Amino acid sequence: MVRIKHRYLLVNILYPDAKHSQLAPATKPGDNVPYTVQFRRPSPDQMNGGLLMRLIRDGVVELFGDYGSGKIAGSLQVVKYFSSATSTAIIRVSREHYRLVWSALTFTTRLPRPVDQPCVFQVVRVSGTIRKAEEEAIRRARLSIRRAEAAAKSSSVSIAGTASTTPTAVAAGEDDFDMIHGIEDPDEPGDMDVDDDG
Amino acid sequence: MFYDLNVPYSANEAHLSRTLAFISELGYNVVALNHSIVGKLPPQITCAIPDPLPFKDVPPKLEIRRRVTLTLTESYQNARLAELARAYDILAVRPVDERTLQLACSSLDCDIISLDLTQRLPFYFRFKMLSEAVKSGKRFELCYSQGVLGDSAARRNLISNATQLIRASRGRGLIISSEAKATVGCRGPWDAINLATVWGLAQDRGFEAMSKEPRSVVVTAQLKRTSYRGVIDVVYGGEKPALPEKDVRAVDGGEGKGKTKQQATTGLKRKAVNEAVAGADARVEAAAKPISNREAKRRKHQARLSSSDAKEGATNGRVGGGGDTALASADGERKEAGLQPAMEAG
Repeated sequence: MVRIKHRYLLVNILYPDAKHSQLAPATKPGDNVPYTVQFRRPSPDQMNGGLLMRLIRDGVVELFGDYGSGKIAGSLQVVKYFSSATSTAIIRVSREHYRLVWSALTFTTRLPRPVDQPCVFQVVRVSGTIRKAEEEAIRRARLSIRRAEAAAKSSSVSIAGTASTTPTAVAAGEDDFDMIHGIEDPDEPGDMDVDDDG
Repeated sequence: MFYDLNVPYSANEAHLSRTLAFISELGYNVVALNHSIVGKLPPQITCAIPDPLPFKDVPPKLEIRRRVTLTLTESYQNARLAELARAYDILAVRPVDERTLQLACSSLDCDIISLDLTQRLPFYFRFKMLSEAVKSGKRFELCYSQGVLGDSAARRNLISNATQLIRASRGRGLIISSEAKATVGCRGPWDAINLATVWGLAQDRGFEAMSKEPRSVVVTAQLKRTSYRGVIDVVYGGEKPALPEKDVRAVDGGEGKGKTKQQATTGLKRKAVNEAVAGADARVEAAAKPISNREAKRRKHQARLSSSDAKEGATNGRVGGGGDTALASADGERKEAGLQPAMEAG
């Protein structure tokens, strides 16, 4: 019996618009919150795994019709992980058809009805095991916190009126959301740290 | 480095700064702000995009270029194209029919050929035409944003045209860019590459269309404008940079580690040392190499010829007297030639 192989997509939900921001409630939405925090803000409470599942199914039906939705129906599973606080999800899908799900996510521009916000889905990791996807999710959450801190510091500095050279140096630190080497798992997990840019 | 070479420029400051921040957040490193011109060129050509952008919070890591897209209408005259190209960093043209596409591919001096893929094009792409353009350094642009934001007819046309373009160009010389009129239309680089993969472009080609090909556009466009005949450009004029103390030390350490003991003694670089050693080897080899059979035979033949000459001379000489020594020397020469041709040749 051959094992069914899966792919785990680590997905970030980004909110490019400021209108529905919950962080800056009444006065001047999103003026003093740095952009990186605005884009990576928490999802609304109505957003959950079931809704994401529905969204993906509808998207695949719209793009690929009955054929596509039939192909992914057996293996698609969203509720592997969904965190509305970091707007992160891990989606499981069979290895042959993960590109269908991925392009359905790419073509999504709005969250469906009860939430109804413009959003952008970005797949940040394609992994063969859920463990690697989890590790990457943790790494990214940590990084985004650090970046938000750096951005907040730099904005406060620029408000104070001094030159903002030092905060940019902090923001351009050595570890980043570096995706130039591809976002699929490398063959040997140890390789990721040693390679340099090419 | 990921490139997005088509972000429409709008004078709306809040919108543009938000879009740029979002693009930077998605992982792009270089963007080109686009200004479109339809119809006649204005009498005074100036760059419509201000050079330092008028707002403060441009993402610090984002590199910004200025690009103009000129729609080629039917009554088009290219008299002032060079002037337009000089005002911007990148010049793109947008052909509307087959004749203008042919013109853009062959004779126009542009950097990018950007077709409106959301409309049904009344012609087919031909590889010959496209490859001619790619050979001369022009690139074709796939803009995905209308497919994401537009209605289903636009999406269908986009997919159909993109597939045709990928097929006809055989995946070479394409760049993927967004042309996102709203911030929601931008997608991450890998998402766009995945879309292109679904449309029939191999994944490595898609990656190149996001990184290598647009880089070549940016660099050649810059070379065309600043360099001497597109060949030589002054990148670094020789002024000494003020290196911080730490960096200098780091560089020294790197050199010391890289050198081998041999290099340190001879003072040559590794390649030079290797070559010197190889050259010496070759010379020794040439000296010690045994000669081939054929060469030996040839030399023997020559020796025989010369010896017969000598004999003739000797017979002549005998008449005159003192021929004994000449004969002996000729005999000796023959014997020697038979035994050791190599020595004689030397």
